[in-house]
Amino acid sequence: MNECILVVDDDPEIVGAIAITLEREGYRVLRACNGMEALDLCLDPAVRLILIDVMMPRLDGLSALIRIREKRNLPIIVLSAKSEDTDKILGLSMGADDYITKPYNPQELTARVRSQLRRYTSLGDIHAEGRKHLIVNGRLTYDPDSLVLQADGEAVRLTPTETKIVDLLMRNPGRIFPAEEIYRRVWSEDAYSCENTVMVHIRRIREKIELNPKEPDYIKVVWGIGYKMEQHG
Amino acid sequence: MDTKWNSMDRAPEEPLEQAAEPIQDEVKEGDSVPKRGRHVKAVIAFLAFVLGVSLVLGSLGAMAGRLIAQRGSPEWQVSDWQETEAFRAEVADYLQDFLSLGAGEHLNWYGTNVVQEGGYGSARWYGVTYSDAIEADSDFSSSSPVPSDKDLYYRNDKSVLYRVTNAKKDIYYSNVDDSQALSIYNKLPEGYNFMLAFLHGKVTIVKDGQTLDVYGDGIYDADSDWFVPGYENFPAGEGVEDVSVYMAVRETPLQYFTQNGVQTARMYWVYERLQEARAFYFRQAVLLGVGVLFLLLWLALRREKRLADQKLASWTLHIWTEPRLLAVAACLLWMTAGNPAASELAWASRYDIFENWDYWASLVGRYLLLLPVSNIPALLGLVWVLWLIHNDHRYNPREKHRSLWRLISIRLPRYTFQKRMNWLNRAALVLICVFPAAGVLLTISLGLSPQHWLFWLMAAFPVIAAAALLLILRKHAALAQDIGLLSGQVEAIRNGDLSTPLDLPEDADLRQTAEALNDIQAGLHTALAEQTRSERMKVELVSNVSHDLKTPLTSILSYAELLRQEPLEGAAADYARIIDEKAQRLRSMVQDVFDISKAAADQLPVRLERLDLAKLLRQTLADMDDPIQASHLTFKIDLPDAPVEIVADGRRLYRVFQNLIQNALQYALEGSRVHLTLTTEAGKAAASLRNVSREELPQGVDFTARFVRGDASRTDGGSGLGLSIASSFTEACGGEFRVETVADLFTAVVTFPLAD
Repeated sequence: MNECILVVDDDPEIVGAIAITLEREGYRVLRACNGMEALDLCLDPAVRLILIDVMMPRLDGLSALIRIREKRNLPIIVLSAKSEDTDKILGLSMGADDYITKPYNPQELTARVRSQLRRYTSLGDIHAEGRKHLIVNGRLTYDPDSLVLQADGEAVRLTPTETKIVDLLMRNPGRIFPAEEIYRRVWSEDAYSCENTVMVHIRRIREKIELNPKEPDYIKVVWGIGYKMEQHG
Repeated sequence: MDTKWNSMDRAPEEPLEQAAEPIQDEVKEGDSVPKRGRHVKAVIAFLAFVLGVSLVLGSLGAMAGRLIAQRGSPEWQVSDWQETEAFRAEVADYLQDFLSLGAGEHLNWYGTNVVQEGGYGSARWYGVTYSDAIEADSDFSSSSPVPSDKDLYYRNDKSVLYRVTNAKKDIYYSNVDDSQALSIYNKLPEGYNFMLAFLHGKVTIVKDGQTLDVYGDGIYDADSDWFVPGYENFPAGEGVEDVSVYMAVRETPLQYFTQNGVQTARMYWVYERLQEARAFYFRQAVLLGVGVLFLLLWLALRREKRLADQKLASWTLHIWTEPRLLAVAACLLWMTAGNPAASELAWASRYDIFENWDYWASLVGRYLLLLPVSNIPALLGLVWVLWLIHNDHRYNPREKHRSLWRLISIRLPRYTFQKRMNWLNRAALVLICVFPAAGVLLTISLGLSPQHWLFWLMAAFPVIAAAALLLILRKHAALAQDIGLLSGQVEAIRNGDLSTPLDLPEDADLRQTAEALNDIQAGLHTALAEQTRSERMKVELVSNVSHDLKTPLTSILSYAELLRQEPLEGAAADYARIIDEKAQRLRSMVQDVFDISKAAADQLPVRLERLDLAKLLRQTLADMDDPIQASHLTFKIDLPDAPVEIVADGRRLYRVFQNLIQNALQYALEGSRVHLTLTTEAGKAAASLRNVSREELPQGVDFTARFVRGDASRTDGGSGLGLSIASSFTEACGGEFRVETVADLFTAVVTFPLAD
């Protein structure tokens, strides 16, 4: 293990706190306090992942991100106090692999770091193998034949009902399913006040596959309409 | 006072009187000589101009007046009075009277069979008309039937010697001795040069030894000189043919007394009038010449005169407009005095205008033609008054002129609009009702008939009233237009047009109001721009502040978390927990404050879509099932099975109901029921959440205001922004948020219009 992570933030205390959190998880941490330093340090081949703040002196995070991308292909997670949707979209479109808002949740941070590293190091093989019948959606990989769902390459343990729901949603990413339809297709019964039942199961699935179940990235509620599996690149 | 003044090398205000000072002064002050010289020249030029124009205009006018008034050929053409028309008319008159004597009866040639075309124009001299003559003659004949009375009249006449006989010789009248018997063959007495003989119905005239051609082609017409019998179409009457008349006229006529003691001099007057006329024309010609000389002088000094003009203009500036107009009117009125055509017009007014309109028209034309030249002082007065006004306008700017009207129009706007309108309306009432009524009453009470000129003056009352009414109506129309523009502007401002001001004409009654409205509009514009700017700044500030808060908060949260992972003992563990909890709360508050400020500034991004409100409520309840189950509250849910479709942003609306349920969970009385119902009515969906508050609810508090909580303390969880966020998010999505409290019953209602 001992993968090296570059943490860039102009606030050294935040860098310190992140470093402690990550080091406890067994990672090695390099520290930088602005974009220029990040550009120098990212050349270290040991660096496997970069956590970078947006608002920094000398060279801001997004500009640094673009220039790092020119040199190295490695996962970059943007860490920003800007929590608007537009900020997230901007960051992701600039080439960030993930976006974490400040104040961050340490567990979520480590989970996302781990997830990115896993995808970067091990999942590449899966794509290379070209197993085309697999359904890949971001961190999730679903095998419709064996009904196995993998998150970051790790099999997720699901109950039969959960598996049915995941099967429905993974096969139709982006489509919105009303609770009644999910209930009918999963339970094969007429739906009557099924909202709670469906919601309970979805919440359980989320806890198994989402990095932060309270702010899910994959299974989302479309309020007033239904539920859907968010499509990720 | 602009370039005109500046072009002068000296200030025009310096009084002109200095120029009139004696020349010695100028010699003493050497360097001021050019100035003084200039002043003198200016005065001279000005006087030359005034005198020249007055003399030329006066003399020409006087001559023109005399020519127009006199009728016939100009008098200056004849030097011999015996060659005037007046003389020939007198001779004809004399002859008529002498023939009357000879015939022993009263003769009137105007009654004979003459084709009477020219008689009208050439009959008489002294402005007495043709009709007058008939009347006078008939009067004469009735009062003195005996023609021999005429003999008494002519007996003492030294200007005309006569001898009247007839064939029977029983009639003989003469004012000369027989020794000096008048005959066409005898030599005329000393001093007499004109001889007329009427023999056998024919007239023979010898003047200065020359026999004149009396009858011309023998037909009497308008061009014939002598109105005496003997023409083919004007033969002598039967009783007259055998009368012989000899009359001799003195070269220089004299005045005399008749037998009745009346001083008379008919021939003398003809003579004297010609002399007077010749003297008059000569005098006017001299004056004209002098005037032309003055004008030439003025032309030579034309530049200098400008100085005088300017000085004069600076004096006349102080005369108000109304006196000027009065002066013009007075001059015009004065002009009508002394018009010789006036008496003719007055006399002709006895005849019906419509039957004799051509005669009338000729008289009126004559009157108007004579108007400018019949009263020369009035003409000169008018010319100079007008010139002064013109001069004033040439050198003084318009806005410097003062007038009563201007004063009133400046003063009037100081009064309120309704007061001005009241005055106008009252004036209109007086003009329209009282004025014509007064005219009618006056006409009736004075008993004026249409023949009287005052009757026509009375007609002026209704005419003035009508004119005034027209003016007032026009004013009202303009006012209506202005009011229309004004109300349109008010409407435009209400609709948000804050950039186009209303521009009413300078003299509009509502000008001030329009300006006031423009001020309000501009003020509103500024205030609105200011408000928008400050709102944006506020949002930016809050956005920046929340960002700035998040950075240290991140550190606090990170280290609090790390601290909790450390093996702490006793109180330290508690402290670490408390720090962590409060930091978490601070975090949610920062996010809430950020959201709410964005919503308040209408900058909250919303993604509106069609959704089922009932489903959204169910989802929300399912989502919050855990805390609901954990609470000691019973939720009574009443949602329709059918979809309740509205258009809103689902994520924001979820936040609204999440906050409401959280609010209920936090503040509802333990063990009580919470009612969540959704109803549709009148095109609206209303979701209401009712709960009984644990604490007594303060009355008269706006629960949607920021940081308001039922218990007024802030020791428990929650940012105090829950309801405020619910309210502003609902409104951002296009719904209505309402909170009602009755005693301890708390009701929150979210209303949305149903989607079509």
